[in-house]
Amino acid sequence: MTEASLSLLGAKVVVATSSDENHPPENIIDGNTNTFWMSTGMFPQEFIIRLPEPTMVSAVTVDSYNVKHLKIEKKMSQNASQFEFATQKEFQNTEGHLQSNAISLNGSSATDLRFIITTGHDHFVSVHRVTVQN
Amino acid sequence: MVKLRARCLLLGDPAVGKSALSHIFHSDGTLFQKNYSMTTGVELLMKCVNIPETNDSVELYIIDSAGKETLVETCEKMWGEPSLLCLVFDLTSEHSFANCSRWMERVRVHCHGLHVPGVLVGNKSDLSTRREVQASMAQEWAQSQGLEYHETSAKEMENCDAPFLSLARIFHSLYHECRETIQSLSPG
Repeated sequence: MTEASLSLLGAKVVVATSSDENHPPENIIDGNTNTFWMSTGMFPQEFIIRLPEPTMVSAVTVDSYNVKHLKIEKKMSQNASQFEFATQKEFQNTEGHLQSNAISLNGSSATDLRFIITTGHDHFVSVHRVTVQN
Repeated sequence: MVKLRARCLLLGDPAVGKSALSHIFHSDGTLFQKNYSMTTGVELLMKCVNIPETNDSVELYIIDSAGKETLVETCEKMWGEPSLLCLVFDLTSEHSFANCSRWMERVRVHCHGLHVPGVLVGNKSDLSTRREVQASMAQEWAQSQGLEYHETSAKEMENCDAPFLSLARIFHSLYHECRETIQSLSPG
């Protein structure tokens, strides 16, 4: 999955808490860091990526800006009623260039990945690309 | 079209007219409570403000927090991380103006180093004979704190929308600045 964008592989962003129509959540999974989804005020902010099938995920890479703290939750199957905590990470502030963070998920199986941005280095954050490594 | 959301803290000494101001703004000038009823906790009011000459809007989540000293500590827990600040004092009370710096200190703790734009509001401008704080003085202090200064009369419903509309506009331009910065970024 590292080569092709998530959207080409059939993944979808099914939930996103902010909407600037020029920067829609689909930009997160188009594989392009020049396009982005942007939050439009207040925290927490979140989005959910639905994978086309249960997938073993060893890590995700998140390209973003202004994100300070990210929590990831996952759903093991489409039928699971609740998300389970997967991991969390503090992001360093970067100026003038994107944050790029690889986050290990220990090879657990998941159908849905929920990204919760609990705080930011500014009022607004952007997410440019999420990739999933098997 | 962009819909922004801002958490706006409404602070200041007791009985300066915070709730009166926010209710008038929220009700489009239809509601002025004649009898004083002290806010003892935190009241949340939401109003959507359209930004002129754009299709964008800002949802202001106004957090009207009790001004009474003994209640502040409890209320602070509900302030969260503010996006905007509306600091109110009573133009007929020098004391309420002097206390504004204490309110600023309190807010700073909750901002976690983030720049939080704000306005300073001198309320009760209708009581001109009892005025204790001159506009020039308030203006000067506001400027030193990076706040925009407004005078209002909640009772006469004068100028009450101005501070909130101004906050919405400031937040809107902040968003656009931030978006431009992000658009010009290079990959990580």
